[in-house]
Amino acid sequence: MNTDTRNPNASAPLDDHLAKSIRQLGIPPRPAILEKVAGEVQRDEPDFRRLAAIISADVSIAGSLLKLANSPFFGYRQRARTVQSALSMLGLNAISSAIATIVLRKVLPPLPRLERFWDASARVAQVSGWLVQQIGARDEVLSEDAYTFSLFRDCGIPIMARRFPGYFDTLAKANADPERLFTEVEELCHPTNHAVIGCLLGQSWWLPENTCVAIRHHHDFVSLRAGAGAFSPTSRRLICLAQVAEKLIQDATGRGCCCEWTKMGEASLEILAISPADFAELQAAVRDFLAQEDAA
Amino acid sequence: MNIRTDGLTGFLDRGECIGEVERLAGEARAANTPFCVLWIGIDRFRQINSSFGHRAGDNVLAKLAHRMKSLAREGDRFGRMGGDEFVILLPGRGVAEAEGTAERLQQALKVPMEIGHVRVRPSGSIGIAQLNTVEPLLHVLERADRAMLAAKRLGGGQYVVSGGEKVPGRFGNPMAQEELTVEGLLHEALETGGLSLHYQPILSAGDGKLEAVEALMRCRVRERNLAPASFIPVAEKTGLIVRLGEWSLMTAARLAQRLGADGAAVKVAVNISRAQLTAPKFCQALHAVLACTDTPADLLELELTESLFMDMSDNVRRNLAAVVEAGLPLAIDDFGTGYSCLAYLKDLPATKIKLDRAFVVGLPEDRKSFAIVRMVTQLARDFGMAVVAEGVETVDQYDCLREAGVTAVQGFLFSRPLPEYQLDQWLQERSGQ
Repeated sequence: MNTDTRNPNASAPLDDHLAKSIRQLGIPPRPAILEKVAGEVQRDEPDFRRLAAIISADVSIAGSLLKLANSPFFGYRQRARTVQSALSMLGLNAISSAIATIVLRKVLPPLPRLERFWDASARVAQVSGWLVQQIGARDEVLSEDAYTFSLFRDCGIPIMARRFPGYFDTLAKANADPERLFTEVEELCHPTNHAVIGCLLGQSWWLPENTCVAIRHHHDFVSLRAGAGAFSPTSRRLICLAQVAEKLIQDATGRGCCCEWTKMGEASLEILAISPADFAELQAAVRDFLAQEDAA
Repeated sequence: MNIRTDGLTGFLDRGECIGEVERLAGEARAANTPFCVLWIGIDRFRQINSSFGHRAGDNVLAKLAHRMKSLAREGDRFGRMGGDEFVILLPGRGVAEAEGTAERLQQALKVPMEIGHVRVRPSGSIGIAQLNTVEPLLHVLERADRAMLAAKRLGGGQYVVSGGEKVPGRFGNPMAQEELTVEGLLHEALETGGLSLHYQPILSAGDGKLEAVEALMRCRVRERNLAPASFIPVAEKTGLIVRLGEWSLMTAARLAQRLGADGAAVKVAVNISRAQLTAPKFCQALHAVLACTDTPADLLELELTESLFMDMSDNVRRNLAAVVEAGLPLAIDDFGTGYSCLAYLKDLPATKIKLDRAFVVGLPEDRKSFAIVRMVTQLARDFGMAVVAEGVETVDQYDCLREAGVTAVQGFLFSRPLPEYQLDQWLQERSGQ
């Protein structure tokens, strides 16, 4: 969806179309609320009150935004009680991403076999954000960036599943392949892969460049191991954080491990400068965090 | 309220200080007032500590803290971040005032003091950061810290203003804004929703029926329009063109999908750059777009300039074949203005030629242009290709082009490029007629 932000009437027909297209086809167009937020954010003098008004118009998004700002991993001592204070705490850069993460799940095609997939993504996102706080923010990766990236990382999967029959079999194969890139296995069976889809979706939702690049390459253990050059330190760090977060969750919950850790684990720990001793500490600490998040 | 302070200096302790930054920065942002943080590191303090002992060191810190506090104005807050590092929070003050404070601080710190019988000249490195509108609140503290470290690297006794960050808004630094290049603006557009596509209708020359629309990129950042002539070359040079191109494809495909779902199947034509077409995995992106948007492939047309065919690399060849296999129609853009070489026409799987406006502008008087137009349309007809004339501005030109046999027309005579909502209105008006 695309609109001329100068025209205040532009959004009315847009919302209609948006609603219609979601109803009819379940496609993920860029949500109108993101357009409106973008319109405000890119003004010379963005106004937090106007932004708050835009966001408050959707009660569920407003509620989720408050919950997000108050989530333990942002580490704020105050609690945001209004949308405006949540916005003010998060800052303009984070707002678009934060809202994108909130609406992402609503607009993607619902697939019965993927319910656990969403819970898992949300969990990886939380732990990635938490992990940044444990090991410190570097290379311009903050908690919220790691959170957004981890949530979007696999959003191409439901779209692949809708588009290509037999995709679940492909997923199983890719998960079990010890040598090839996950995305290479997908490409053997289909003309594209979930990482490219996720990247393009992220781009069209105005996610930061480094996040989109990281989504596109999040299975690329060859480039990751090769070190600098393939993508920015920021993108690299995002990929590693999610990988380590996923592993920590798997260890804490006892759920099975796929081949990704074998391919990327060592490089991820090295890039994040997590020693075996640090990792053991994190393994212990993540249990508390998960319990805390579950209680929240 | 129980406020925790540092026993030695009486300043807020670290935790309390962070809470205070959060509160003051939040208030400043809400009220649209400036807020600055000074981060002060005492130079060579470790040396003082190791030469004279910790007790003497503490004594020095207490004295220095006292000097800092003596410069306080109403509303300022003082914190000790640990060891020999302090912060001063300046609500309501912009960078210029903070710099003044930093200079006065440095004067005050530099006054010699006696430790035992030794006279030392302390000094401080100071980092200054002003809250901007784009960052999470606590970043202002981190930036001040980084600026202080930068100041230390200058050799001590200096201050550094946290810079390079974008500081938009009322308190923006005009210098920083001037320094933003088109590239920076493009990046910003990509991350804040500053790009849009406008669509110019392409009509059948015979019955005036809408055949397609061409998507043209527009960029608007910080309430300023960037001309395509200024941002496209920069995008090409920096490689950003690939991302812009992917974004266009996705956005255009959504329009095609939507119009199709509304019952008006209209092709949407998108310009493809050399960088995209030479990339080995171009078609993955193409399929990703189709998968994301559920657009029928034949509604998304790719326009390629003829210069692309001059050096057909293997990648280009493979990509073109894959595009055709995926079912997308191809059009040759700006035909006749490059180093036209007709040989490639024979092998190219294109279904449409877009005749450059250069051949249209002189019509109907310019008989040479007319001869070229007629020759091209004849050739295209024999190849089974359609010919679109671009840049049609007058009725005379239109009549002349029809006489020459072009199959479709595009130009201001029919419509300028329209933002999506106006295209919808345009379509509605036409269907109502």
